[in-house]
Amino acid sequence: MQEKENILKILEGTKASIQKGDAATIKNLSNQTTNTAALTQDPDNIAVAVIIYSISKLIERKDYKKLPGWNEFYKTIFKGIDNTINSIKKNDEQKTKENLDNLRNSLTKVSGSLKKYIQDIFRKASINKASKLYEHGLSMEKTANLLGITLFELASYAGQKESVSEIPFGKGISTKARIKIAMEMFG
Amino acid sequence: MTSEKAIIFDASTIISFSMNGLLRELRELKKIFKGKFLITEKVKFEAIDKPMTIDRFRLEAIKIRGMLEDKTFELPTSFGVKHSDILKKTEDYMSSANSVFTGEKGEIHLIELGEASCLALSEILTQKGIPNIIAVDERTTRSLCETPRELKNFLEKKLHTRINVDTEKINLFKNFKFIRSTELIYVAYKRGLLELKNHDTLNALLYAMKYKGCAISRDEIQEIENLK
Repeated sequence: MQEKENILKILEGTKASIQKGDAATIKNLSNQTTNTAALTQDPDNIAVAVIIYSISKLIERKDYKKLPGWNEFYKTIFKGIDNTINSIKKNDEQKTKENLDNLRNSLTKVSGSLKKYIQDIFRKASINKASKLYEHGLSMEKTANLLGITLFELASYAGQKESVSEIPFGKGISTKARIKIAMEMFG
Repeated sequence: MTSEKAIIFDASTIISFSMNGLLRELRELKKIFKGKFLITEKVKFEAIDKPMTIDRFRLEAIKIRGMLEDKTFELPTSFGVKHSDILKKTEDYMSSANSVFTGEKGEIHLIELGEASCLALSEILTQKGIPNIIAVDERTTRSLCETPRELKNFLEKKLHTRINVDTEKINLFKNFKFIRSTELIYVAYKRGLLELKNHDTLNALLYAMKYKGCAISRDEIQEIENLK
């Protein structure tokens, strides 16, 4: 795992914010992983970003807490974060990876109606994070592959974000010239 | 030697047409094009094979596969280009593209196989004397080739890191020509191929493409509209 100290700080912050039910802070913490994820493309960093964003979305929706299985799920998440924090502190790379996998799996291995909500949130969190990486300059396909989503999902989500198309990396050739290329190609 | 020409499609452009329900327009464009619309195996994987395994996108994938079956799209073998030749060049391009920029934590990997395969095929066709352009809606591949300095500045700002550029590698990417779904829609409009004929159809289509992932700014859309 790269940027361990940063990830540790983020997980500790998440743990404290879960206890307070502070979804906004958790979401903010998940955004702090984006730079590192874009730079290093480290799967563990990306996993942390998606997991934490998913947790923020779960915490902010009060209605999920009434669903059967929530308490057990809450305990599993809390314990999973604790375990990951401990393994990072011990510099145990292997255990950290295992704990992150367990944490990710605990988001998808829930029973009952809670399961479909959580899976949906996890999927949307992956698309959200993919969109952030695309905003940071990685290509669409690169980003989709890193997050395990399809180009269809990323294209329609990223297309809604003005920050992607309104801040181009320089225009290259003029609009008129590009139209001319297309028109000439069609003779 | 052939007198034909080619438009090489990246998955991002096919997806913009598909998600806007405009595959018919793409078929109409192909009918008036004196050449081939090509997709590489890697692009086929991203636009057809992968979404075919996902319930939500299977229908789109089947529709796009239909365009391969009716030869709206063709594979590069139709020009006698072997998949293995494209693959070799694809890996070279991907390796170069992903080491053009180096940050404090190492090389910044920007593009993937599908995108690199479009560049590879374009180079092979050019070497064969076949005029070609690449249709790509996503912005990074295009910028890497057309505005690498601006891309470097953007990455430095976004990633908060100093970035070194391998200028020799940048030169490998400077000779490609790109269009987007928006330019293709403009051609369809000018040639009377659109199903919708209202006066504001072009504006609606350009924005539809933008909102399904085509990297085009509002100013650029206005400029295209001014060309009407």
